[in-house]
Amino acid sequence: MKNTSGYIFRSILLLGIILLFPYHGHAQDTLRTYGPRIGIDLARFAYIFAKPSEVGAAFSADMEIYENIYPVLELGYNSISEQTELFDYTSGGTFLRLGADYNLLPVTDRSLHHSITVGFRYGITAFSHHADQILITDDYWGNMVLESYGNNLTGHWLELVGGVKTEVLSNFFLGWSVRYKILITNHLDPLITPQLIPGYGRGTADRAFGFTYSMFYKIPLFKK
Amino acid sequence: MSFYRTTHIILFLVISLGSCTTQDVCDEDSQSELVARFKTRHPESVTDTTISGLYLYGIRKGLPDSLLVDSLPVQQIMLPLDPHHDTSQFVMRAGSLADTLQIVHSREFYMISYTCGFATRFTIDTIHYNGRLIHEHEIINHTIDAELKLNEEHLWLYF
Repeated sequence: MKNTSGYIFRSILLLGIILLFPYHGHAQDTLRTYGPRIGIDLARFAYIFAKPSEVGAAFSADMEIYENIYPVLELGYNSISEQTELFDYTSGGTFLRLGADYNLLPVTDRSLHHSITVGFRYGITAFSHHADQILITDDYWGNMVLESYGNNLTGHWLELVGGVKTEVLSNFFLGWSVRYKILITNHLDPLITPQLIPGYGRGTADRAFGFTYSMFYKIPLFKK
Repeated sequence: MSFYRTTHIILFLVISLGSCTTQDVCDEDSQSELVARFKTRHPESVTDTTISGLYLYGIRKGLPDSLLVDSLPVQQIMLPLDPHHDTSQFVMRAGSLADTLQIVHSREFYMISYTCGFATRFTIDTIHYNGRLIHEHEIINHTIDAELKLNEEHLWLYF
């Protein structure tokens, strides 16, 4: 069965974002500005509408410390809370990603800061998950309800990242990234596979895809 | 076409193509059943055997008797183990002979999948019977869970 409602919603949302932030070229400046760039992942907010049980926020910081090389730090929070006929489930925690991006786009105009990047991340999360009101159905001996089970866990993963950032206003950027994630920690919990590993995704999959759509502001500290 | 528009149209296509996800449907059983095969021991071999007219039911505290096997010729039985207690008891009757099979086990619950929920995993400790119908037994596999594999068996009962 295809989840078409999520598809339609995300498509409309994305079109809206593109229309809301039309590109405005700006006057050329022969000086190139440098400084830390902070960002917020807007796609996280879209998830709240597409999947209300999952909430989260993610922030990033990067800076071009050497030509075309951007160390990146990303911090976030992610949680899920769902009630099913068979059990109630919650999982949530903070995550941290560290890595770097490399800009493939040649600088033809020093006033423009667009970038097309490839990079990697190492991700780590500390989170807890709980199952409550666990119903074990048994047609012969009768159903059984277990009260609760919970565990504090740590997850690790690697990401290969490709993305684009466009300077839509002076020092303001819109950008997106797609990510291929490889889970390093395989056996997080012997009884319950986490439905959500914050920052990674479903714990049932050793590989996952992800994407971000972010807005950035670069603090123009240096010009050269 | 500007860099902005080009890159965001690419994103739109990527997200659109990647947005169709499959929804999980549970097609697994959550009942953990012990598979017991019937055997006869000969001087130099062991063969499968069939018990004719077998009646089988579990001793369920507070619940009426419910037959698992109703007067059938069978070579093996599948016993749902009691998730509420550490002992599962079954009455077997064939003709004028009757036996009570008592399976002492430990229990732990585990998640089958997010869609299918939880089941009980049993580990057989000991087997008891009065010997009127069952002569001896052999535990083949101590662990019983809801994911029964093809040709999996846990217990041989000798008649």
